[in-house]
Amino acid sequence: MVYFINDIITGALIGLLYALVAMGFVVIYRASKVFNFAQGELVIIGGFIVWFTTMQLGLSLWLSVPLSLVLAGLVGYAIERIFLTKLIGESVFSMVMVTIGLLILLRGVVLLLFGPAVRPFPIIFPLKPLFLGDMLIPMNLLIGGIITIVAAVGLSWFFNRTRSGLRMTAVAEDHVVASSMGISVTGSIAFAWVLGAILSTIGAMIFLSGKSLTFLASDIGFAALPVALFAGLESIGGLILAGVIIGVAQSLTTNYLDPLIGGSLGSVVPYIIMLAILLIRPTGLFGWRTIERV
Amino acid sequence: MTYKARHGLRSLLAAGALAVTAAMPLKAQAETTYNLALLSDFSGPYADIMPILAASREAIFDWWNETSGQGHGVTLNYKNYETRYDAAQVASLWPGIKSELDPIAVVGLGGPDVAALSERLPEDKIPMFMATAAYGYAWQPDAWIFNPRPTYSHESAGFLSWMREQRGGDEPLKVAILASEASPAYVDMAKGLELYAEEHPDELDLVEVIYTEVQPTDLTAQMRRVARAGAEALVIQTNTSIVVAAKRGLQANGADIPIMMSSHNGLPASGGALGGLEQLEGDYEAYGMAVAADQETPARQFYETLVTNYGLEAPWNVVTAMGISQGLYTVAVIEHAIKEYGADGLTGEKVREALFAEPITTEETHGFLPTLTFTPEAPFPLEGLKVNVGTVRDGKIAIEATGVDVPDVQKW
Repeated sequence: MVYFINDIITGALIGLLYALVAMGFVVIYRASKVFNFAQGELVIIGGFIVWFTTMQLGLSLWLSVPLSLVLAGLVGYAIERIFLTKLIGESVFSMVMVTIGLLILLRGVVLLLFGPAVRPFPIIFPLKPLFLGDMLIPMNLLIGGIITIVAAVGLSWFFNRTRSGLRMTAVAEDHVVASSMGISVTGSIAFAWVLGAILSTIGAMIFLSGKSLTFLASDIGFAALPVALFAGLESIGGLILAGVIIGVAQSLTTNYLDPLIGGSLGSVVPYIIMLAILLIRPTGLFGWRTIERV
Repeated sequence: MTYKARHGLRSLLAAGALAVTAAMPLKAQAETTYNLALLSDFSGPYADIMPILAASREAIFDWWNETSGQGHGVTLNYKNYETRYDAAQVASLWPGIKSELDPIAVVGLGGPDVAALSERLPEDKIPMFMATAAYGYAWQPDAWIFNPRPTYSHESAGFLSWMREQRGGDEPLKVAILASEASPAYVDMAKGLELYAEEHPDELDLVEVIYTEVQPTDLTAQMRRVARAGAEALVIQTNTSIVVAAKRGLQANGADIPIMMSSHNGLPASGGALGGLEQLEGDYEAYGMAVAADQETPARQFYETLVTNYGLEAPWNVVTAMGISQGLYTVAVIEHAIKEYGADGLTGEKVREALFAEPITTEETHGFLPTLTFTPEAPFPLEGLKVNVGTVRDGKIAIEATGVDVPDVQKW
């Protein structure tokens, strides 16, 4: 029974990590209606920045972590300025295609700049897990879970209660209308990309702390995809619930069903849940329902 | 220099060149060139080891051209093709490779090459020579794809038998497997060992089989299960990221269970990814090929020759050993074919026939591989199988055992 509860807790914490990466999807989508397929690549870019400042420049974590977040924000800003600004007013489809191009480009840039070697990632969070009686909770995931919840609460408040957040939502509705109302479309989208890149870098730190860094880590973007679609692409708070459900379902499947069937159903379960919910409710659990009147 | 003098010098040089050409042996004049297609992954999951592997196998072809090829009047031409370790990419490249090179052999890399070309190579009558261990799903008679090593499951079974012997006692060795469904090859490695354990309960007790992602989020809880089940060895033949996550999981649990790795995710690669070889003190790598340890061995001496005389730029490690092994048994088979059928008119089919005609001795591969006796029954030698075991001792890679017998593993 203790193991069962432990597996639920670990699963929930892994789900919260997925939720944090998925938050990058949602933030960019809420500001621009663009689904960023390169979210996983932003995670590895963030990871390489942390690795570079810590392992290459030799900075202490107290310095390298904030510096990495700033640099990641700058990368997000640069991506938006170089590739997306010129597409404002164009169809969303064009912007989405650009993010697919970005996915390939960023992988190439990482290979070009850092090479293909597998590197040790700095230990950001303590390696020793937290023992609660017979239960064991990995510290990186525990701290990561707390960060995810704080980020979700903060960003929900920002998007729903502040003028800047509401402006970003207006931009997502229609670039031309928002622009005619005096809202800076480019500024809003740029801010969303900065935020998306910072969230991805935090995700990289939690995900990779004490492990190894390769461009394969970008696969976490695909792991976070079901969480984002399950929650609904506009809901930041919904990511927490979606992440926990998907993480727990995956953990229980991996630990209890997979050994019985001798396979890796656990890696498929998030997508099965995602497809099931999209069949029942195409906007996801907490996505906005849009009514169009002609 | 005047015009007259320049003209005279030119005439002298031309006459000299003509004289040298006329004096050259007939064989060299009638030089025959054969092409080899090298499948590579410079931008996919094995991009980290590919430059070393590629340099090593290319150095062998250069060495062979200079030392043996010249004598036979044969030059082996080679060209790398980027596959990204993707079966679809291999399949789409293949028609172009065939029409461009018309190769007498393909030098492959891994599972996707096998998946993409296993049906096509018999039709095209071109053999493919791999560097890795073999796969259970490709264990078919009349193969056109060949491995110098048995399956990964043979190698792990050999290692575990050795480990049980070292431990002593009659109890079965408690073993856990950490695998991934990211690649059919990874699943295959686990399935073969599972079957072996099932058929040999007196030797192996498989306490856990865990499937995870190629870049796992966290394996602390899984490693606790492994430790609590009393595992005496943890077999990881997938990739370095899984080794790193497993090691961290074991460290978090305060568990000291030796990990067995393979060649592609071996001690140097995993140690590098962990931040130092010393973190893998007491862990193992095991495979049917020479261990790239610091000790002086014939394999090491041959590697030094390649570095000194043939400009090989690769460190002495398991990946280099893998590339050299692959190159050596490929050129050995081609040389057998030349001796059997002559230097002219060599085809892929003749090269394949030469593979079955006579064994490739360990001397021919400079001790990198055991003597290989291929038969049409399997894509790898079924007899005389051996594995070598390497470990980390005092922060350095050391040979722990050589020529360990591989038990009889049934087809799965």
